[in-house]
Amino acid sequence: MNIEIGGDSMGKEELLKAVEDALIKLDEGALMKACDDALAGGVEPLEIIEKALTNAMTTIGDLFEKGKMFLPQIMVAADIMKKATAKLEEKIPADQKPEKLGTYVIGTVEGDVHDIGKGVVATLLKVNGFDVYDVGRDTPLQNFVDKAKEVNADIVGASALMTTTMVGQKELIELLKKEGLTCKTMIGGAAPTARWAEKIGADAYAENATEAVEVAKKLVGAE
Amino acid sequence: MEYYCRLGDGHLIKMTKEDMKNSIEAGTNDAAERGEIPALTDDEQEFLLDIMCNPQKNVSVEPGNEIVVTHDIGTIRIDGDQGNSGVGIPVSRLAGILIHERAFGTDTMELGHIDYSFKPVKPIIFQEQQTVERVNLLATILVLYGAMPNLGLYYYPDGPFNNPSERFQAGDVAGALEAQEKAAEHAHRDMVYIMKNLWDVGCEGVNFDTTAAAGDADFYATLMATEELKRDTGLVVEMGMAAENVIGIHGSIEYKGMRLAGLYPHEQVKVAEKAGVDVFGPVVNTNTSRDMAWNMARAVTFVKACVEASDIPIHVNMGMGVGGTPMFETPATDMVTRASKAMAEVAKVDGI
Amino acid sequence: MGMPIAHVMASGMQGIRAAGDLVARMQFAKRMRLKEAKEYVAKKLGVDVIELVDVEVMRNLREELDIGVVTSVPGAATGIEAKARIAELLGIPIAPVERLKSKLE
Repeated sequence: MNIEIGGDSMGKEELLKAVEDALIKLDEGALMKACDDALAGGVEPLEIIEKALTNAMTTIGDLFEKGKMFLPQIMVAADIMKKATAKLEEKIPADQKPEKLGTYVIGTVEGDVHDIGKGVVATLLKVNGFDVYDVGRDTPLQNFVDKAKEVNADIVGASALMTTTMVGQKELIELLKKEGLTCKTMIGGAAPTARWAEKIGADAYAENATEAVEVAKKLVGAE
Repeated sequence: MEYYCRLGDGHLIKMTKEDMKNSIEAGTNDAAERGEIPALTDDEQEFLLDIMCNPQKNVSVEPGNEIVVTHDIGTIRIDGDQGNSGVGIPVSRLAGILIHERAFGTDTMELGHIDYSFKPVKPIIFQEQQTVERVNLLATILVLYGAMPNLGLYYYPDGPFNNPSERFQAGDVAGALEAQEKAAEHAHRDMVYIMKNLWDVGCEGVNFDTTAAAGDADFYATLMATEELKRDTGLVVEMGMAAENVIGIHGSIEYKGMRLAGLYPHEQVKVAEKAGVDVFGPVVNTNTSRDMAWNMARAVTFVKACVEASDIPIHVNMGMGVGGTPMFETPATDMVTRASKAMAEVAKVDGI
Repeated sequence: MGMPIAHVMASGMQGIRAAGDLVARMQFAKRMRLKEAKEYVAKKLGVDVIELVDVEVMRNLREELDIGVVTSVPGAATGIEAKARIAELLGIPIAPVERLKSKLE
């Protein structure tokens, strides 16, 4: 389908690309206009959200990982995406509105006080559509479990920076099983590796913050 | 025919020469794309391939290509463990330094505290002063005092300022930025206080280890501390980084007109030079899921660009999980020696 | 073993066993790149650059100059005494030596 915009004919892919580019450029005005154009062009609002806006956030995550964009810019992107999403959701029937991707409980295990990386992961997960509950750092394992139960977590993620504290990740997974939780588990941090994740029975491992988002999405079946 | 290699986590694997070649090419191209720097030449990739496919267990540089080996932490790892690779032999820090000098053959050493950050040193500065004095009486090699700037210790609950992560998650970007700026001021002040006190008792220099681990504000605090220490003392300054890219947790902090977020090693060193750093230690993190041929090529590419851009000596960080070394507490010497040779003879570093 | 020893064996200048400590000092004191630092030290010692890592040459020279040797020899300079001689040899200030001198003055 094509529409005439300002005398030029634009196909659906082009309309979606315009939305995507505007969000990547953090241009709120251009984003709103691009959304209006896409709607006028007959593109479904849900498709704009799920394809253009989500693709843009993935690209933004990649740019962050490569050091081309920074955390405050991620927050700006999240903010204008939220506005665009709200605008688009007005056109979507209540029973078809996009849901949150999932609920994620994250923290650094007890005995480990590092939380810079964990904080970045939590922020990226939130802006990418997860409900995030950050239980902090040096967190008793029971706190992870209690929070996971309280919010009905889809994923519990545990960070550990040191070889001495990563055993906490193993103990957490054992505790979650013992308490009967069936949520997925993810681990990360400087010391843990994919093989460690496999060894302790974690469902996933992420090398960095951007990968954590992609892996989390896969765990909840979002991609 | 297959050759032994390892994954980034140290696990032994086998690869064909063709696979290694492809990995090397992919690794160098990854670094080149990210850093916007040249990939290794065909000859350099071939040389790396020869190193990786060498049938010897351990390899070394050719005579004449030897480089300086400086060592951080070191002494702490003999006595105990602060989270990575301590061996638990109860010796004093002084003995640890002498062991490195007289038994291990390192060219410089470092005195550090078991809680290896600057902030915890402040209340025990008198202890550290006395230790520096004793060490300097007996050590022949240059001994630096080292610790991590670790801006994270200035955020709640360890420090007086809001935690930027919590502020970001609450949508308070302004609060997150302010917290980092204030924390950086305090960290700068503490690092200067500590090192000036150690200079007063004859300390030769400082190693700022894992600089920028807490992002661009962490880097800024350390640059400011360097500038003041170089202005007011005769300390030599080594700056070792935390990652190949400075995480932009603030995003807007600049040092002498250069935004710090997003800098790669060849850019980081130029900022470090402006602050007065004497020796710079770039870091390239090992990807634990990729093979070491990929990791090594990637690390060498970043470091080579840094060496070529630099006007000061480059001592590449090559401990656990960095600089082409596997991320394992006791990394296999087959890969460590290969990485060592690669950095000396391809990246042409001034030291490790 | 995995890190300091492996690196020293693979590519190191071996510290006071040879002349690595002296080359390192010039890098830190004067920001000399490796080649320049090696050439500077070799000139000061009166040896060829390649001999800087020759333990046989350097052991004898270090004994002769009394700038510290790696084994424990009674009467041989070590620690602050060795550093004082190294400072003079290389023409650089070494902080603990300067401090000691100023205290004695």
